Amino acid sequence: MANLERAPRKSFNDLIYDLIFKNYVWQSIFRTGYPNTPRNQMLAVATNVFLHLHPTRIHRTHVKITHTYCLGGLSFFMFLGLTVTGVLLMFYYVPSIERAYQDIQELEANVRFGQLLRNMHRWMAHAMIILVLLHMMRVFYTGAYKPPREFNWVVGVVLFILTLLLSFTGYLLPWDQLAFWAITVGTTMVGSAPVLGDESKFLLLGGFSVGPNALIRFYTLHVIGLPLVISIFMAVHFWRVRRDGGLARPL
Amino acid sequence: MVSRAAAAIRTRPRREREAEVLVWPDLVFIEFISALIFSIALMVLSAMVNAPLLNRADPDTTPNPSKAPWYFLNLQELLLHMEPAWAGVIVPTIALVLLAAIPYWDRDQEGQGVWFGTKFAGRLTVFGFTAATLITSLLIIWDGSLHVVWTENVIRGLGLNSDFAWPGGLDWFRNLRGFDTGIPWDSLGFTIGGFTMFDDWRAIPLGIPGTTTDPWLLNLNFPSFLSQQIIPVATMVGLPVLFVLFCKMLGWIHTRRDIALLIFSAFIGVYLTTTIVGTAFRGQGQDLKPPWDIVVLEE
Ligand code: HEM
Repeated sequence: MANLERAPRKSFNDLIYDLIFKNYVWQSIFRTGYPNTPRNQMLAVATNVFLHLHPTRIHRTHVKITHTYCLGGLSFFMFLGLTVTGVLLMFYYVPSIERAYQDIQELEANVRFGQLLRNMHRWMAHAMIILVLLHMMRVFYTGAYKPPREFNWVVGVVLFILTLLLSFTGYLLPWDQLAFWAITVGTTMVGSAPVLGDESKFLLLGGFSVGPNALIRFYTLHVIGLPLVISIFMAVHFWRVRRDGGLARPL
Repeated sequence: MVSRAAAAIRTRPRREREAEVLVWPDLVFIEFISALIFSIALMVLSAMVNAPLLNRADPDTTPNPSKAPWYFLNLQELLLHMEPAWAGVIVPTIALVLLAAIPYWDRDQEGQGVWFGTKFAGRLTVFGFTAATLITSLLIIWDGSLHVVWTENVIRGLGLNSDFAWPGGLDWFRNLRGFDTGIPWDSLGFTIGGFTMFDDWRAIPLGIPGTTTDPWLLNLNFPSFLSQQIIPVATMVGLPVLFVLFCKMLGWIHTRRDIALLIFSAFIGVYLTTTIVGTAFRGQGQDLKPPWDIVVLEE
């Protein structure tokens, strides 16, 4: 038995591949290699903390772009992006009327990529509102609110309101003329409610007009209160999509 | 009896394994690509267009026009045409409640999961959206008295009458407030059996007990009530009803889903029109202006 066949020499590519993907550290993170059998692909989705929001298989019609246009997913993606850019913005911003405006100016002028960071946060917030509205329209026009998905539609309406509130509370923070007067106009509308109008306006502003108390209230709601609430509702929303049997499809 | 939701789950179609695809890689790939496209597009946008930053906030300098953020400008637009309590609070609240209530009213499971699932869905959508957009625009033009300006300009311009002015007899049709200021309410009292009724339309005693703090409940100013509350609310309720009756007449409506399609599309039309007008066509004093004529003054 001397004629054992020699294993073929490893090519350079294979060496690199093994070096990256077959070392101890990598394999401690990703226990298996690329999932290239159906069984492993399902396991990859079911066992990954980020992917397990999904089912492991879905109906063929639902991966067609034209069924959802990815609008719900993109709304969520905007929320994630806003969280990342928002946390970075918090490094540079102090919610006091002495500092807020100056902080934004300095962010734009002195921080590397500061202007870009602020722009990203701003345009993503606008994009999120538009995407959520479009998502609602797609759900409506595909009749996807019908039983058993009634309640998830209601959760969706709450998500829409929370999205608007998140954007509205963020609008005040730069403390410029645009911010100040937009919030003044907006809260005046709240004040015209036939019952508890003045009371809700006072509660929202922490006073009779937009001032330091309003700034700290809006800031707190914007960076922690509303994000927490919307995360809870999103969790319910996604969970219900799966509990209701995946996306709606003809009987 | 099982609940409807439970029954619905039961009647759900069987899983058709052969028609299913794997989430990895089919869906994950699409999600990844769409996220990538959006990241790049937003990155490019942010590199080209800066977020606005005006002067530092100053409570003593009011910009004219002052506007709420764009997604509330549809409400600010309503504010110009009715009592603030309706525009700012009651109408949006009712709209959201009705929106949330759609699935509890249209419970038929037919036609779910496909775009425009009923026979006339396309027509209802196009009609609802277009008609609502047109009518809303016309109402805004009318309440902005643009028809007055245009009529005067045309008649003068054609040389028919070089100092033509909108006739006083038509003052009530200048705009919504015309029903308040353009009608001789003071001479509209009448007498029944020697008893004078409504000699003062602007202070009709309602005498609702416990309403001393709210003057309009105590003494109703009917002309203002008519123009700021009755007409706007009747319009918002009446037009959708007319829409439904009209499409029924055309034979386009057979199920609740059809009604929902019509009204939702009309709602989207109104929502968009008021947002666009409020954002791009309102200048100083909230006057109607083309976008290129709008300047913001600080006063
Ligand atoms: C922050 C806002 C929202 C997020 C992140 C979100 C996310 C999602 C996602 C990822 C899905 C899966 C399918 C898809 O992408 O279309 C979905 C489905 C759904 N969403 Fe939303 N959504 C939001 C707001 C809304 C709103 C405003 C409504 C309605 C008023 C709504 C109603 C629904 C319903 C009924 C489904 C099930 C659709 C089906 O079975 O085909 N969602 N949502």
